[in-house]
Amino acid sequence: MPARQRLSLIALAVVVIVVAFVLIRGSGGDSGDTPPPVAATLGARSATATSPATAPEKVVPTVVVRNGKPVGGVKTLRFRKGEQIAFRVRSDVADEVHVHGYDVHRDVAKGGMAAFSFRGTIDGIFVVELESRGEQIASLEVTP
Amino acid sequence: MIHRRAALAAAGAGVALACVAVAGPDAALAHGLVGREDLPIPRWLFAWAAAVVLVVSFVGLAVLWPRPRLEDPPDGRRLLRVPAAAAEAIGGALGIAAFAAVAYAGLAGTQTATANLAPTAIYVVFWVGFPFASFLFGDVFRLLNPWRAAARAVAWVAGRLARGELPAPLPYPERLGRWPVALGILGFAWVELVYANRDDPSQLAVMALAYAAAQLIGMSLFGIEPWSRRADAFGVYFGLFARLSPLRWRGGTLELRRPLSGVPSLAVVPGTVAVLCVMIGTTSFDGFSNGPTWSSLAPHIQSFFGDLGLGPEHALEAAFTVGLLAVVGIIGGLYRMGIAGMRSIDPSRSSEDLARRFVHTLIPIALAYVVAHYFSLLAYQVQAVAYLASDPLGNGSNLLGTASSTIDYGIITSTGIWYVQVAALVLGHACGLALAHDRALVLYRSPRDATRSQYWMLAVMVAFTSLGLWLLSAQAQ
Repeated sequence: MPARQRLSLIALAVVVIVVAFVLIRGSGGDSGDTPPPVAATLGARSATATSPATAPEKVVPTVVVRNGKPVGGVKTLRFRKGEQIAFRVRSDVADEVHVHGYDVHRDVAKGGMAAFSFRGTIDGIFVVELESRGEQIASLEVTP
Repeated sequence: MIHRRAALAAAGAGVALACVAVAGPDAALAHGLVGREDLPIPRWLFAWAAAVVLVVSFVGLAVLWPRPRLEDPPDGRRLLRVPAAAAEAIGGALGIAAFAAVAYAGLAGTQTATANLAPTAIYVVFWVGFPFASFLFGDVFRLLNPWRAAARAVAWVAGRLARGELPAPLPYPERLGRWPVALGILGFAWVELVYANRDDPSQLAVMALAYAAAQLIGMSLFGIEPWSRRADAFGVYFGLFARLSPLRWRGGTLELRRPLSGVPSLAVVPGTVAVLCVMIGTTSFDGFSNGPTWSSLAPHIQSFFGDLGLGPEHALEAAFTVGLLAVVGIIGGLYRMGIAGMRSIDPSRSSEDLARRFVHTLIPIALAYVVAHYFSLLAYQVQAVAYLASDPLGNGSNLLGTASSTIDYGIITSTGIWYVQVAALVLGHACGLALAHDRALVLYRSPRDATRSQYWMLAVMVAFTSLGLWLLSAQAQ
């Protein structure tokens, strides 16, 4: 390959780097660096992306189980790492609710409610299921 | 020329970037063994990775060597020497013991998948652990291979009894090539990703025993070495990854060789292209089937099969079978398109011939896919071996005193996993590119034709790498 061609390819590579850098820095302000919404998506949507410290009235999301299945399908509960993870499960069947990964178990009585509150120490996506039925009722997402 | 090259590469990355923008509903989580699933890679990292892939490709084309360097490698540097016969005997005995323990646990232990040793041993240690180990330490599975060890032990005893008068094995059919491997890996992937009872310990144990029995029959018919080299699905599968390792076991000697120099010597027998396409395709489907696109598509296919009279469970299996085969087909189609383009440079070569001569360049891409998809699974779930080995049957025993250990999810963070995933894909891309460049220099007399042929391979590689990146971000919200 002639030297000129080599040089032009390398120049092209440099251009790609520069363009990528500019594009990513440009969009970084609103997509890369901002935290994803803190509020969980279940329940009321009124809770906005504010930290728990300044918003003590934060709505605790509730997963409703009817006939052993989650109402409205499997939804995602979103939290940030280090934050307190709090949600409730209301069920019309008796079972044990198991949060995978964190391995938190709570019994829920027929027509009763189980409340969860623990610190989000692990990031990742975790299944919340009715243990004896093997039915997934929510998915817990903890972002870094 | 440069414009065309740039256009091809940019098109590949563009397609991938556009795909990321597709938002979807939340993904259903697949594997029953897994307590934690990876977060999708964030958009900024995706953009950086795509940019680096393009840069690596351009710089690669510009500065790669003008004469073949990998095809005829010098002998490796000797690092270590051990008695070969003793190593084979010890390794084989360990392999057979581990196999027997896992099969026994599967049959006799609890049928709760997460409390029985067998599912984790098979899906995590065996299926995911050995590709990593083969890449790091060379072909270790060949040393431990339980069915090969059993066959060698039987042959040794029979040879003693018959005083060396064993009948000669049948010649291994050339046309069969590596097709048994392609079918074997596809079959394993089907069980792992499609089959409803994939985590059932006793069924897994029965399938493992059946596979070992089939291998013993094959080896007794066609000879231990010919069968192991061509038809033992797992032996060949792990052996392909071992070719990427800088370490090589030869007899009782451990050698250090030039990186990638073990790959071009891959014998291009029939079925090899199918093996690589199945490897990349099944891993892709594993990622794809966790994503929102498939979650919204699968119910439609399922209801189609339901209308044909299948029950819901079998209809879902049928839908996943269709998806698995379709993704393998798409991977094969992409490779074939690149080959067809390359053939336009020199029509005197058949596309069959070209497809085989470049297929070794897909091995690093296949490993990159495995690392990108299964690194976190291995890092976390392998810790489960500590308590499962202590209580393999799930009946409360504590053989090693580690039965109460747990999985530490803090050993690596999501950010760490993202960097490993992206680094694997970019490195795999660079290695594939270097291998294809080297082979083109051998195949085409003029360096100009060699470079021209490589625009097509570059397009194939960019497509595969972009697909790999997209699969990691497919669950992006």
